[in-house]
Amino acid sequence: MSFNSFDFAIFLPLVFVSYWLIAKWGIRVQNLLLVIASFIFYASWDWRFCFLILASSCIDFLLGLALGKQKNSKKRKLLLWTSLASNLGILAFFKYCNFFLENFVSVFSFFGQEFSLASLDIILPVGISFYTFQTLSYTIDVYRQKIKPNEDFISFLAFVSFFPQLVAGPIERAKNLLPQFQTKRVFNPTEARDGLRQILWGLFKKVVIADSCAVIVEYTFTNSYELSGSTLLLAAFLFSIQIYCDFSGYSDMAIGIARLFGFDLMKNFAFPYFSRDVAEFWRRWHISLTSWFKDYVYIPLGGSRASKLKVLRNVVVVFLVSGFWHGASWNYIAWGFVNALLFIPLFLSSKNRSQLDNIGDDPNKNILRETINMSLTFMLITLTWIFFRADDITHAFLYFQNMFNSSLFSIPQVEKKGTALMTMILILFMLFVEWIGRRNEYGIEKLLLKKSKNIRWTYYAFLVFLILMYAETNETPFIYFQF
Amino acid sequence: MVYLFLLIAWGELFPSFMKKNLYYKLGDTGHMFTRFQEANTKRNIDILCLGSSLSYRGFDTRIFKAMDIECFNFGSSSQTPIQSHLLAKRYLKQLNPKLVLFQVDPEAFSADGVESSLDIIANEPNDRYSFFMTLKILNLKTINAFIYGCYRDLFNRNKKFNEEQVKNGDSYIKGGFVEKELAYAQKSKIPKYNFEFDKKQKSSFEALLRLFKDQGTDCYLIYPPVTSYAYKSCSNIEVFDSTMYSYGHFLDFNQQLELSDSLDFYDGYHLNQNGVNKFNKSLLKIIDFQSN
Repeated sequence: MSFNSFDFAIFLPLVFVSYWLIAKWGIRVQNLLLVIASFIFYASWDWRFCFLILASSCIDFLLGLALGKQKNSKKRKLLLWTSLASNLGILAFFKYCNFFLENFVSVFSFFGQEFSLASLDIILPVGISFYTFQTLSYTIDVYRQKIKPNEDFISFLAFVSFFPQLVAGPIERAKNLLPQFQTKRVFNPTEARDGLRQILWGLFKKVVIADSCAVIVEYTFTNSYELSGSTLLLAAFLFSIQIYCDFSGYSDMAIGIARLFGFDLMKNFAFPYFSRDVAEFWRRWHISLTSWFKDYVYIPLGGSRASKLKVLRNVVVVFLVSGFWHGASWNYIAWGFVNALLFIPLFLSSKNRSQLDNIGDDPNKNILRETINMSLTFMLITLTWIFFRADDITHAFLYFQNMFNSSLFSIPQVEKKGTALMTMILILFMLFVEWIGRRNEYGIEKLLLKKSKNIRWTYYAFLVFLILMYAETNETPFIYFQF
Repeated sequence: MVYLFLLIAWGELFPSFMKKNLYYKLGDTGHMFTRFQEANTKRNIDILCLGSSLSYRGFDTRIFKAMDIECFNFGSSSQTPIQSHLLAKRYLKQLNPKLVLFQVDPEAFSADGVESSLDIIANEPNDRYSFFMTLKILNLKTINAFIYGCYRDLFNRNKKFNEEQVKNGDSYIKGGFVEKELAYAQKSKIPKYNFEFDKKQKSSFEALLRLFKDQGTDCYLIYPPVTSYAYKSCSNIEVFDSTMYSYGHFLDFNQQLELSDSLDFYDGYHLNQNGVNKFNKSLLKIIDFQSN
């Protein structure tokens, strides 16, 4: 049951209405309803994985309580390691087991030892990387005594399984989200309206832009060996747009839906394609994950307060782990590594924090130069996405090889030219709206808010119209569900 | 209201490439517009054919006529049981056939039924049956076409349309058959697929069979010949066959009639006129034999 499905269009209003109708019975009943709704939501993929979330929640809940009571630092450390081992163990089994088996066999055959090991038939539970990291953050924060252990299992379960952000984030911190399950929620019409606006914009980005791009991208990456360099470049560009609209669209919807229920989730995207360098891009892309890695990997490794060499190591480790988090494949690791390579020069020249404002904010900066920097950053990021989208590392290199030849300067071979042209028009529309709204939380947050109600509603109806006219009718899953 | 206004404006003013989820074309492939017009003049026929292009390109009404059988072919492009059910509800009483030849194939039973719904919505004024079909399919393309179609019906915007009887090598033959200019198939690659009885198609199919039974109309389920490679592209054809046998008289002509992939077809799925003649003669023999 994806956010862009008819099933969800029925599920959400039902849960929403029930949730506010039972508000008078207290937050525990509301939390219980959220848990039930979240498990129904998750079971729509595969009911068996509900037990996985339940097990993971039980482990961390009990370990959290034990950490709260335990004063002995060695025993506390042992409890923390138990949490890390169980959570990462589950993740490793479901996500990385076959990767390690295959590479184990490859290493042996490299040294001339023929060795066969059947890969396991494991189904990857949807969103496992997301909720694993969320529960991990809880036990780590309890261990660090940044938060107190939660004593109410229902609210803890609601925190882990909260359906708006269960399968693809934002990866919330217990410090931010858990207290919200323990305080009374009051229905706020302004918040709800704003949430609906955010859902609308997220849905537009997903079903109109991302899914339209996906058709061309899918065809081109599948047939990349036969197509011209210019076609491959166009598909790489479209994939950049696709992944942004797919994932930020999902995040907008998740945040908007959470607001309907009175919750405030963290921002996950801050218009990353308007970045002027790669460092700025990484401050604006998938913020909940990058900040997670910063807090729980980069800083524990020593962060920036170490020798230059160690800091460099820390940066590379974070990018590699980030790549590996996305998928058990070498192309994701290569993607992380290439991004590290692009980031390091900025870091070494201490320019990694030179772009902290929004593009166009500072009148002292040359806007032309900023625009050129923004375009160059976008081009570099587009090239790195090829590693991300390719089937494997060999495919990625062959894609580059086929792209950078004389056919790069030919006219792209697109089957349905009219549809492709329309897709480009819609992309420009989306970028234009986001450019106008780049100082806000999401693209249309304040757009036309000062205009009359009629103008605003006409604009919303126009967006709804565009969704119904240009959405891909085959329901396409969100890219990040596979992680 | 704004949505309706924009939908109609888009439909009237913009070229087709700008109307991704609004496909409304009068007289598209398969001569459905003409077929509906002819159907409205027919009463009390002997045989009614239903199904996809395998039906309207497979059952030649002239061959039936030569045997003194009044046959009407109500096939339409990619027709699935959902649309067959709609057509039966609209026309079964009026046409009052003695026998229905219901063309079946695994692809139609696994399909979502969107393509054929658009053909039916565009070529005949919409009514409660097409409204319920739209609800059942619940696809943006069908919903948009239905809304736009209702507008065109309401303002009589299709009254000047006249469909050509011969177009793109296809000739409409009285009785609903479409004859293709004689051509021969070249082997093409057809991707493998699995037959999975779509839930909505299944419920429509069963409702359709009940409708025939209630009206006392006999029905044959017929899988017309396709090329051997198209036939084999369904990886679990035996499941399809056994499913069809469980519903009644089922004739799989791919197992009963030997045809040449290159000489009797003009593409992977469709018979050319040589193939149509052989298939129809064989079919009439079996029907005669079994009905006697």
